[in-house]
Amino acid sequence: MTELSATPAAILPDDAPTERLKRPTIWRKLRRDKAAMLATGFLVLVVALGVLAPWIAPYDPYDNNLRMMLKPPSEAHWLGNDGQGRDMVSRLLFGIRTTLSMGLLAVLAGGSIGAILGLLAAYFRAMEGPIMRVVDVLLSFPSILFGLAIAAVLGAGTTSITIALTVAAVPSIARITRGAALVVMQQEFISACRAIGMSDMRIMFRHLLPNCASTIFVYLTLQLGQTILLGAALSFIGLGAQPPTAELGTMAADGRNFLFFAPHVSTIPSVAIFMIVLAFNVLGDALRDVLDPRLRQ
Amino acid sequence: MLQHIAHRLLISVPVLIGVLLVGFLLLQVVPTDPATVMAGPTATHQEIEAIREAMGLNEPVIVQFGIYLGRVLQGDLGRSMISNTAVATELGNTVGPTVELMVASLIWAVPLGILLGTLAAVRRGKLSDRIIMAVSVAGVSMPIFWFGLMLIQYAGFHWKLFPFQGRGGPLWTLDGLNHIVLPALTLGGVFIGPVARMTRTSLLEVLGSDFVRTARAKGVSERRVVVGHALRNSLIPVVTLIGLQIGFLLGGAVVTETMFAWPGVGRLAVGAIVSADYALAQGAILVLALSFLLVNLVVDVLYAFLDPRVRAR
Repeated sequence: MTELSATPAAILPDDAPTERLKRPTIWRKLRRDKAAMLATGFLVLVVALGVLAPWIAPYDPYDNNLRMMLKPPSEAHWLGNDGQGRDMVSRLLFGIRTTLSMGLLAVLAGGSIGAILGLLAAYFRAMEGPIMRVVDVLLSFPSILFGLAIAAVLGAGTTSITIALTVAAVPSIARITRGAALVVMQQEFISACRAIGMSDMRIMFRHLLPNCASTIFVYLTLQLGQTILLGAALSFIGLGAQPPTAELGTMAADGRNFLFFAPHVSTIPSVAIFMIVLAFNVLGDALRDVLDPRLRQ
Repeated sequence: MLQHIAHRLLISVPVLIGVLLVGFLLLQVVPTDPATVMAGPTATHQEIEAIREAMGLNEPVIVQFGIYLGRVLQGDLGRSMISNTAVATELGNTVGPTVELMVASLIWAVPLGILLGTLAAVRRGKLSDRIIMAVSVAGVSMPIFWFGLMLIQYAGFHWKLFPFQGRGGPLWTLDGLNHIVLPALTLGGVFIGPVARMTRTSLLEVLGSDFVRTARAKGVSERRVVVGHALRNSLIPVVTLIGLQIGFLLGGAVVTETMFAWPGVGRLAVGAIVSADYALAQGAILVLALSFLLVNLVVDVLYAFLDPRVRAR
């Protein structure tokens, strides 16, 4: 009995071997892509700034100072001050923190739900029809509609927008996961797992999932850019983070009122969103090229 | 062909019911009681109860959904809780401007996107290809509101080229045309990148195919190969993809309308949500979703019409 239960581990290490061999080459190829490395470096910096915001921000991002209202960049305030005299550097740092965490949370939650749905659809043939039908329907609607509908029910705010962004991320990840899982399912080691009587859950999460992980990861990266962009747009039209919360989209909307005499108030957060999303897109494209050369054109 | 359309229509029915269900649930979960709103602040408990009974609010939820479906089919989407006008009337006034804005954006952005994509594909790997693709990635990453804000700031305010607030009137008047320029530039601007990218990918695929090699072999000029043979064949997927990207455009339209005070469905929806006018919000979201469903259907049928291979499947 002990012998039998020891066999699967010996034949099939839980961390599938193909994955382990592939990893270094991906990194090596990616390192040759200068744009991708630049994007990675930039993103690491941005995430660090967002995480460290409470400690490195020079001022309180909610501290009004009407005497400093709409001041252009100066030595004390590198990026100037906004409509209520708040320091733009501090607002920007906290804005990055809010925007990134909204996007990350939504992509992680939506990605997990999507990945599980995709795995289920690929593994259990009976579930494929219903799951994929729902996914197709969700995919066919513009994400902004989820934002509108959820904000209509829960009211405008960070929570509703994060939920909307989560829902918006589910269908594409589910579809990608299913596609990747179907390919892996064809391989012999899955049949071997079944033959030795491994449970469905164990096969799905210990063998199928790790082998689809790289594909899912790439799409999560690409999705993150789109999610941040959508979240910022929803905040900009007033359905997301509410003032005075420092959030990049809300800050850009706030600056609209002073566009003609203090354009820096809306330009700075807008540029920040643009650069973050651009970095995610460049990195996602590069990752896709490396992992799936067929798409390279 | 007819069979394909029938099949396509049939599979839209469950989606349609789903959309209507969401619209209905939207009105169910909101914290306000429609009967109380309708009765007004001075109504007695009995009056409210009578209205509840008349509106069918005491029926089981399933029956209420049936009543809701019947009303929607008759074009009755309820009354706005704030202005007390019929939601259908308010929406009717906004659909036109939204369609106008979307058409005005597509009309310049799609040809330009196809042109850029073709240039990039033909000069594959050269500097112009790289520049076009870099601009296209930047375009995809650009927050639409930033592009709009820059247009408002420079073209609208500093250079005073075009107005940037509201709609000037019908498009055939000079004022109407002037007013749509900046919103259409904003909305179309974010669309060029995706179109250019799709065209490039699709054209590169066709350029590598056998019939293009044959055309080249028999001495057709490169220009005719690209324009006459390859581009025509690569446009089919591009047309479909553009159709499927209408949702993306719709998202942009919501933001653009809000920025430029353009009196469309998107701005109406956002306004209704912000002011908690649930009936109006529900109607606007329903109209947006349904029109989107319709566009998808049309694109699908059009695709089958353009490409006989789809019909055969």
